[in-house]
Amino acid sequence: MSNFINALSRVMAWFGCLVLVLIALTSVISIIGRALSGFGLGPIPGDFELVEIGTALAIFCFLPWAHLRRAHASVDLLSNVLSSRTTKAVEFLADLLMLACWAVLTWRMGVGMMDYQANGEVSFVLQIPVWWGYAASFPFAVMGCLVYLWRIALDVGCVATVEPSPRILQSGVH
Amino acid sequence: EPVSLRLHHFVPAQQNVAAHALAPWAKKVAEDSNGEVKIQLFPSMQLGGRPSDLFDQAKDGVVDIVWTVLGYTPGRFPRSEVFELPFSSGAGEPASRAFWEYVNQNAQEEFREVKLLAVHVHGPGLFHTRDPINTLEDIKGMKIRGGSRVVNHLLEEVGAVAVGLPVPAVTEALSKGVITGATLPWEVTPSLKITQIVKNHTSFAGDKGLYTQTFAMVMNKASYEKLSIDQKKAIDDNIGIELSAAFGRVMDQGDAEGLALAKKTDNNIVELDAAETNRWKQAASRVRDIWYEEVAAKGIDGPKLAENAEKLIDHYSKD
Amino acid sequence: MDPLWLAVWSLPALLILIFLGVPIGLSMLALGLGGCWAIYGSPIPLLNQLKTLAYGQLSSHSLSIIPLFLLMGQFASVGGLSQALFKAAEAFVGHRRGGVGIASIGACASFGAICGSSMATTATMAQVALPELEKAGYARALSAGTLAAGGTLGILIPPSIVLVIYAILAEQNIAKLFVAAVVPGVVAIVGYILVISIIARLRPGTVGGQAEPVSWGLRWKALSVVWPVMLIFIALVGGIYVGVFTPTEGAAVGAVGTAIAAWARGGMTRAKVLQAFELTASATAMVFMIVLGAAVYNIFLALSQMPQELAGWVGQQGFSPYQILWAILIFYLIAGCFLDSLSMILLTIPIFFPMVSGLDFGLTPEETAIWFGILVLIVVEVGLITPPLGMNLFVIQSMAPHITTRDLYLGAYPFVISDLVRIVILVLVPSITLFILRL
Ligand code: NA
Ligand code: NA
Repeated sequence: MSNFINALSRVMAWFGCLVLVLIALTSVISIIGRALSGFGLGPIPGDFELVEIGTALAIFCFLPWAHLRRAHASVDLLSNVLSSRTTKAVEFLADLLMLACWAVLTWRMGVGMMDYQANGEVSFVLQIPVWWGYAASFPFAVMGCLVYLWRIALDVGCVATVEPSPRILQSGVH
Repeated sequence: EPVSLRLHHFVPAQQNVAAHALAPWAKKVAEDSNGEVKIQLFPSMQLGGRPSDLFDQAKDGVVDIVWTVLGYTPGRFPRSEVFELPFSSGAGEPASRAFWEYVNQNAQEEFREVKLLAVHVHGPGLFHTRDPINTLEDIKGMKIRGGSRVVNHLLEEVGAVAVGLPVPAVTEALSKGVITGATLPWEVTPSLKITQIVKNHTSFAGDKGLYTQTFAMVMNKASYEKLSIDQKKAIDDNIGIELSAAFGRVMDQGDAEGLALAKKTDNNIVELDAAETNRWKQAASRVRDIWYEEVAAKGIDGPKLAENAEKLIDHYSKD
Repeated sequence: MDPLWLAVWSLPALLILIFLGVPIGLSMLALGLGGCWAIYGSPIPLLNQLKTLAYGQLSSHSLSIIPLFLLMGQFASVGGLSQALFKAAEAFVGHRRGGVGIASIGACASFGAICGSSMATTATMAQVALPELEKAGYARALSAGTLAAGGTLGILIPPSIVLVIYAILAEQNIAKLFVAAVVPGVVAIVGYILVISIIARLRPGTVGGQAEPVSWGLRWKALSVVWPVMLIFIALVGGIYVGVFTPTEGAAVGAVGTAIAAWARGGMTRAKVLQAFELTASATAMVFMIVLGAAVYNIFLALSQMPQELAGWVGQQGFSPYQILWAILIFYLIAGCFLDSLSMILLTIPIFFPMVSGLDFGLTPEETAIWFGILVLIVVEVGLITPPLGMNLFVIQSMAPHITTRDLYLGAYPFVISDLVRIVILVLVPSITLFILRL
């Protein structure tokens, strides 16, 4: 099971990056098309909207992976001072908070999706129904919640413990 | 008991409409209610979300009042969209009065989930381009940011490349040649520095503009119902056709300032003659037909609505 | 509780959560949600707002530039471009006193030219340069300080994710900000090189022995390997500035160009590509978790009216423009000890920017906005290497556990001093930042 969850998150991360690469290629093709608009070519219509849908999709695919790898920016300055029990408790609290927040966000996102389905709102250029963008990301938001739930199960030791993931610090932005 | 109402919108506090329509309205309501109704202004989407979320924020009670652009949510207000059709709408104040009347006659159901405070339009939209447009043919191949969904159709119809961009990105895209033109009313040209970047402006003969956008100020129903009778009165006395007209007037004043600035910078301001304007209207009529077909699929009689809108605009323009 | 006080008290609560080890973005998200709920007085408005909040934030076109910059940096890293950059820099200056350290700074700067993030720059260059510095006999403190400070060039030299966020929040031109950052970035490089040279002169024991100079033939050969990096940098920043494409498109061009350069070097094996993907995924998720958390926390702050009250109060005090500017910069320097750069920018620019943009420094409003953006960039960058919370220090420590915390702090402080000197210079002489834009 643990292997499955890890593999699932990993494949989602790969898939999200694939989407990013497609976004990049779309933009590059669009630039070339626009530059050659004198020759009857043109930018990809609505590339703007495709980039938005793709970016959201990619990030929803990335979130579970980052949580599982404990890659979210955090401060472990006090971890030497606090007892390991306290540290574990904080970790458990943080994981609970993550699940709670995303469960609410995902639930509401689903409601938002149904609202858009009902009100018929479409995108500006391509006239894509807005709810399609939601629908593309929604399954990954749900999978994220499952991963967060799994993480909590690991915390309380209900499931066989796995090797703690190394913190990925090569990432980040600051 | 005094109440505080949150008014959320998407432009900075010092922008034309925010400073000259929204802030004075908030002040007026506060005065008329003897301070019982305080309107807190939240500019620049401070309370979160995107401009396209505003209408729903009022509908759902996230905030109490919003001022928003109906075209930001394409497909939601098909009946109101008539005013966005090319060469439908003219000067802001009369067209906004007409729009209020029109919505009350034809499009109330699009606002049934909120309390409608005002609707309005901006003044005549026109072209601002790097290269001059003197005839219909000149626009072929130009990369233009269209101001509304319908204008984008028109641009494609006449052989231009319609580029989708958010308004704040227009200045940069224009100065860099990512786009070579934009459709905008004069009112926003000073804040977007349009007259410094492009030197050609093309408008049309007659009193109708290339296009307009439709705006609405709406209030959450429950927030309104919660008010006392006196508080409701302070709101009710300050909404409707006169508030709509006030928004339109601010737009017109902004247009005059924008035009004056362009003249001062010695830009090339072209008004196409009646014959040439007619050629554009001809091209636009095909866009109209497409729009009629689109709304027919929703069970809406487009031609009838358009006729009604035209009558009302003519009526209020005569005064 | 009064909303204003609720907001005031939420700040220490936020710090406590963060210092206990709760992820930063999550802390802001949870407190922001709780705060909004409390001010609304009912969960209903909040729940309605959340229908579009997550998707709306994550599907932002302007923010889509960030994952593309991160992808670009990872391609450059796994593709071996970082190694080539270090070798090239070392070929030119490695034989001088303190030369390997100076080469590390040079390599950080050039890697920063194709990477938008400081932590990624620190991690990548530490991997390459830390072993070389130790081999050359550098003291641990100096090696750690050099790479932590060099890593900050990742956001100082464009492209820069922090500048992208600033541009979005302040509605400023990204291209102009990138171009304005170039000269201050060069000033930073010079400052860091001076620090290393001075240390090398005062305490020769800390920089090990000196190597033989490399022949010019070998130098040109090393340089010839890294020209794609320079080409990508010029195409990216130049292309955005001249207007061939929008910033987001520029990031796409950079990502594709870097992938091609890395592939040409043979660095794009399947395993490497997947590694780059995984690192991009976690870095992107980390940024957007903070972006989302800050967005919600900012709604809470706006609802509480705290920013408006603060701005109103400052406006009434009759402070001079420079007093306000210095107060803000000092605030950032102090807050930078306890908060990460991204959260600081996201939380404070909506408050400070309107204050500063109304001040008269004898510049045009746009110049003021750009100059302020660069100053903010530099003060938050200092926060990356100041204890106790210095993200770049954490990166070095995680990669080289044998370096003690004491060594880290000792190594970082000379570079912090050079940063402070640079801030004073850039505040006193705005034209250093603005003169390219005025050309
Ligand atoms: Na950089
Ligand atoms: Na710090």
